[in-house]
Amino acid sequence: MAYAYLFKYIIIGDTGVGKSCLLLQFTDKRFQPVHDLTIGVEFGARMITIDGKQIKLQIWDTAGQESFRSITRSYYRGAAGALLVYDITRRDTFNHLTTWLEDARQHSNSNMVIMLIGNKSDLESRREVKKEEGEAFAREHGLIFMETSAKTASNVEEAFINTAKEIYEKIQEGVFDINNEANGIKIGPQHAATNATHAGSLFLRLAAQTGPLAHSLTLSSCPAET
Amino acid sequence: MLTRVKSAVANFMGGIMAGSSGSEHSGGGCGGSDLPLRFPYGRPEFLGLSQDEVECSADHIARPILILKETRRLPWATGYAEVINAGKSTHNEDQASCEVLTVKKKAGAITSTPNRNSAKRRSSLPNGEGLQLKENSESEGISCHYWSLFDGHAGSGAAVVASRLLQHHVTEQLQDIVEILKNSAVLPPTCLGEEPDHTPANSRTLTRAASLRGGVGAPGSPGTPPTRFFTEKKIPHECLVIGALESAFKEMDLQIERERSLYNISGGCTALIVVCLLGKLYVANAGDSRAIIVRNGEIIPMSSEFTPETERQRLQYLAFMQPHLLGNEFTHLEFPRRVQRKELGKKMLYRDFNMTGWAYKTIEDDDLKFPLIYGEGKKARVMATIGVTRGLGDHDLKVHDSNIYIKPFLSSAPEVRVYDLSKYEHGADDVLILATDGLWDVLSNEEVAEAITQFLPNCDPDDPHRYTLAAQDLVMRARGVLKDRGWRISNDRLGSGDDISVYVIPLIHGNKLS
Repeated sequence: MAYAYLFKYIIIGDTGVGKSCLLLQFTDKRFQPVHDLTIGVEFGARMITIDGKQIKLQIWDTAGQESFRSITRSYYRGAAGALLVYDITRRDTFNHLTTWLEDARQHSNSNMVIMLIGNKSDLESRREVKKEEGEAFAREHGLIFMETSAKTASNVEEAFINTAKEIYEKIQEGVFDINNEANGIKIGPQHAATNATHAGSLFLRLAAQTGPLAHSLTLSSCPAET
Repeated sequence: MLTRVKSAVANFMGGIMAGSSGSEHSGGGCGGSDLPLRFPYGRPEFLGLSQDEVECSADHIARPILILKETRRLPWATGYAEVINAGKSTHNEDQASCEVLTVKKKAGAITSTPNRNSAKRRSSLPNGEGLQLKENSESEGISCHYWSLFDGHAGSGAAVVASRLLQHHVTEQLQDIVEILKNSAVLPPTCLGEEPDHTPANSRTLTRAASLRGGVGAPGSPGTPPTRFFTEKKIPHECLVIGALESAFKEMDLQIERERSLYNISGGCTALIVVCLLGKLYVANAGDSRAIIVRNGEIIPMSSEFTPETERQRLQYLAFMQPHLLGNEFTHLEFPRRVQRKELGKKMLYRDFNMTGWAYKTIEDDDLKFPLIYGEGKKARVMATIGVTRGLGDHDLKVHDSNIYIKPFLSSAPEVRVYDLSKYEHGADDVLILATDGLWDVLSNEEVAEAITQFLPNCDPDDPHRYTLAAQDLVMRARGVLKDRGWRISNDRLGSGDDISVYVIPLIHGNKLS
């Protein structure tokens, strides 16, 4: 249960593009073919490992329907990462990306990492949006991009984990103020404890005694060395 | 010291430790904080949230509105939505529960008459109603619907406990009277165990009238029961239900009081419950939550709030009768403002427990004490401590930095209002709305009714989630959106920073039931 960091994600995009399915595939490793409408926000969570550190992803899966937009808008706040999802078999969901992006940029903190996801890559025969178009849109707007299939699980892990890596790097670079929870990042209990007693031989002794703390030592000394 | 460190650590860990603090130091004497929790903290059971989801829901920054999931249903397609406060407490201190209760006669319970005897009598009733009752009732219980809403303060303990246990007290109280309630053709017996007066309700009036005239029916003649020469109050069935609910609240409060030596049951809570029994809604309220019915666009208030202002006279009277409860620190009199020492001997406006108007009195030394009730509106407090005057728990609550207990001034007694569902043919948009003060602080009854009457007709009447969506809409309207200067609602008014919980209960199902 102990984690070094907790990252908050939000999943956005038109209704029916597979936001809930991506989450379910990532957290439960299963696919649900029936479309249950999300009527507000639902949550998922999973632990991942980056650079030897346990990171907890807290994922907010929002309703895509227009009528819920006013409600879901407030959920951008305090998100460190966003998965912006469209459906490669429905051109309109791709066309709406600009609106989603504007919404996200307006209501989130400026450092939020956005991953653009073209979902349903398993339905190649019904494809309406070329992969190159997705890549171009991502490049143009400074997003990371991936095509996924929540059904076959293709690239699902990668989509969530690569977003986390990007956030993690930003932390290393000092872009994120990790002490401000409004950035969507929380330091795990152990790290908070070590941060409080920063530096000094006492800290070193403590770190030597317990496994997970040793990681935190490398972490906090990392930026200084590079 | 240990406790202090412990709680510091618990705070540090974002409350994660709160549930797991051990019970090994129960003799600490620090307000029972070392005792185990009676129930772990969580959100209402019917939401079915995992631990992770509970954690997500406690986001004071984005304040997610939680609703019933797609896959979950409450009785009557009841809608529910809630949101956490803007940071005033780690936890959402509102709690709720919703169940169908089955009330059966307790095995070995005392009944008014032996069964065989009553069966014989019932079958002799002219309309055969008694006979029919006998057929289906004996072993089967009555099922009743139960909704509850609690708003905790000074900790979530009491609200969590009440949300888990109050329904059992309700069931238990109803068990004692279930046989009487089933027999709707006969008024409840005045005295149990006595041979009851089995005259049907309507002819009984005649008998009583006759007895008032002086016993015209030949007293003493063989076969005639002895005529009564005193009047007897007729107690209708619904008054027994009201009494049962009042007793249930009292028993719940007593249980919290008893168990606080074994468990850490922090704080206190308001309680608002609805019980639907035999075609009637019983709305019992102790505190400042509120219930209204919106029927065909019309508002029918189903509760009133109990605050220092609304209960001023009761509180003042208690303090007047039992001045030691004020610990020599407070005065039970009310003045328009604090009295200053230099005003001694002057005459100032005041009012006592027996007044609604104001009069002048000469200022004495005692009048310089802090007033029992002070502040206006939402800021009104009893002994500068608490802003709600009825509810459950709070047994250890004291005036800050003193040994003066607040509890004697708080009452666990609810006000119960009854609504007869059968008297009106309800449509799909006729609803009962229950909400904690987080909603009502910022929205008036009229605004809530207007929102509902705008929202519901725009939903598919067959959508099982329409009432949950309506509840979500109400929470959204009360929470508002986060702008530069905090949470804002319509007309740039301040949104509610409190926990907000809302039920929207469609009444059309009540008609189907009866």
